[in-house]
Amino acid sequence: MTERSGSDRPKTPEALKFHFTPVDPPRGDEFNPHAKATTYVPDVVEALKARFGDVIEEVELYAGEHTVRVRADYIVDVCRFLKEEQGFNYLADLGGIDRFTDEGRFEVFYNLVSIERRKRIRLKVRVDEENPVVPSVTSVYRAANWNERECYDMFGIRFEGHPDLRRMYMPEDFEYHPLRKEFPLLGIPGSLPLPPQTPGGPLTRDPFARAHGYVPPPGYEEPPADAEVSEH
Amino acid sequence: MSTAPSFVGPDRQGLFNFWPRHNEAIYRRLATKHAWLEERHRPPGGDGEPDPLEHEMILNIGPQHPATHGVLRCIVKLDGEVMEKCVLDLGYLHRGLEKVAEHKTYQEFMPYTDRMDYLSPYSNNVAWCLAVEKVAGIEVPERAQWIRMIMCELARISSHLLWLGVGLMDAGAVSVFLWAFKYREEIYNIFDEVCGARFTVSHSRIGGVASDLSPTAIAMIRRFVEEFPRELADWEKIINRNKIWIDRNEGIGVLTAEEAIELGVTGPNLRGSGVDYDIRRFEPYLKYDEVDFNIPIRTEGDSLARYFVRMEEMKESVRIICQCLERLPEGPIRNDNAKLAYPSKEEVYYSMEGMIHDFLYTDVGVCPPKGAHSYHAIEAPKGELGFYIISDGTGKPWRVRIKAPSFSNLQGLEYMMEGAMIGDMVILIGTIDPVMGEADK
Repeated sequence: MTERSGSDRPKTPEALKFHFTPVDPPRGDEFNPHAKATTYVPDVVEALKARFGDVIEEVELYAGEHTVRVRADYIVDVCRFLKEEQGFNYLADLGGIDRFTDEGRFEVFYNLVSIERRKRIRLKVRVDEENPVVPSVTSVYRAANWNERECYDMFGIRFEGHPDLRRMYMPEDFEYHPLRKEFPLLGIPGSLPLPPQTPGGPLTRDPFARAHGYVPPPGYEEPPADAEVSEH
Repeated sequence: MSTAPSFVGPDRQGLFNFWPRHNEAIYRRLATKHAWLEERHRPPGGDGEPDPLEHEMILNIGPQHPATHGVLRCIVKLDGEVMEKCVLDLGYLHRGLEKVAEHKTYQEFMPYTDRMDYLSPYSNNVAWCLAVEKVAGIEVPERAQWIRMIMCELARISSHLLWLGVGLMDAGAVSVFLWAFKYREEIYNIFDEVCGARFTVSHSRIGGVASDLSPTAIAMIRRFVEEFPRELADWEKIINRNKIWIDRNEGIGVLTAEEAIELGVTGPNLRGSGVDYDIRRFEPYLKYDEVDFNIPIRTEGDSLARYFVRMEEMKESVRIICQCLERLPEGPIRNDNAKLAYPSKEEVYYSMEGMIHDFLYTDVGVCPPKGAHSYHAIEAPKGELGFYIISDGTGKPWRVRIKAPSFSNLQGLEYMMEGAMIGDMVILIGTIDPVMGEADK
């Protein structure tokens, strides 16, 4: 697959409007009516800090949810530690985030659940745009397989050591990663040919052609405006 | 005739060949995938005659096959009648909902959630609203929470009824399909009375619900919860002793508890394997910690266990609805703060402020703090349905991640299919209960 290199990719997304930023950034101690006891895990965070030290880059708390950001190259070790010693044996979710910043553009989050302890924790790793490679956690959680494929499909983050890194939703012939912020909402015309709209017609290159300003030609010859209408 | 696209692929004499690289990748995966069944006939050391009778065959099932419950494509390698390897291909219903969400305000995105798990739209609405309410810290009045619970449980019954009817029809029993759809129709009538739409309801709102339950609606729900358990008991008398149904399900698609957790399977499929993971108990939302109900669990882990779990869940749903109806308090149905929730229609029509708030809420909507991110999950009929929302401080989410239960369950299906008979494939797809609108997002 041909990847466009990081430097010549257009940086401006098509519609990225900022209306206003009305509220201060969250401090983490606000009361939240929907906060759950399961997501508040200070003891696990302490255990992680004691075990891994400066691998833990940041600990966030919002709405009673702990988010631990770790260094990308240690994610497999952290996951194995959480699974084997802290009982987080169920991977509920895994996905990518495009922060659209110059440094540390992509994030991958891991939503881990300990069914016995009734706890839930979120891990995050951050990778740069130039070389978005994250070690795969499929050796620890088999459930990560499809989620990592989806993340690769949508963001182009490659997972090192993944047994089957194909695209999840888009066909392999597609050359873009749709959830990146610079990918336009209406898609890129011509990137994915679709069947003809009329029998024997040309392939549909752009299903949203009218939104892109294309006016289809009239299907029949209109009579000239000054043609005399016969009275008979 | 159409011209072939410029990318590489096998020459089809000018016929247009869709996405050749995609199919090549699937078949390459099928060829290289490790399957423990292969070792049965071919011991690792000796490479004798691989397949003297030419039993091997690669079969594509779907995406248009009616038994795949949507547009699931299964590519299986058969050895006689046994499925030796299986590769599932998703994405035929991929609409990019996560991308769409980034371009909609929070309230605008809600009708899209109806189209995810279209067999229980109300659960998706509630999941979305709760996720937004969590990230923005919006409180919901008591009455709205109880109404949401009633409707969620009705949606669960409706979804399980479809699974029951279609699952039995896959096994050859058409009459249960008709009985189940009669009661699905009643649930649709209730939805119609409550919110004016039968299928894609969009009744929940951020900070509450759109409209209150009318006395007619409450009477309809009461009649339903009175009649339905009797009817369900009658069906159980027939189905539970039906030899064909038992034989086709018993011991099929067995997942042990460890396998189920490892594969990330959720919902009734996980509970059928003996894991007590239900979000209603795990992290209670709405008022689920105040009502009395059981979480049915079976330990066999086969297709029949999942059938029993779902049947019991329907009865528990009825119990929950009865308690909700008893305890339904009087009061407002939407948050009173017009910066956080829509004002009522009376205010919009008869006061200037109401109209301005309505206008602003439609235009900008609720703005969670910049950098806020949170995850909220509910127990949808198919399993854990969660939304992870990241806000950038504007009225539109920066990123929405949909944790779709059907997606996780289908990953378990790929594992279950390997080693099963081709005739059981339809049963296996039915027992997992996938909805492709949700799995494909």
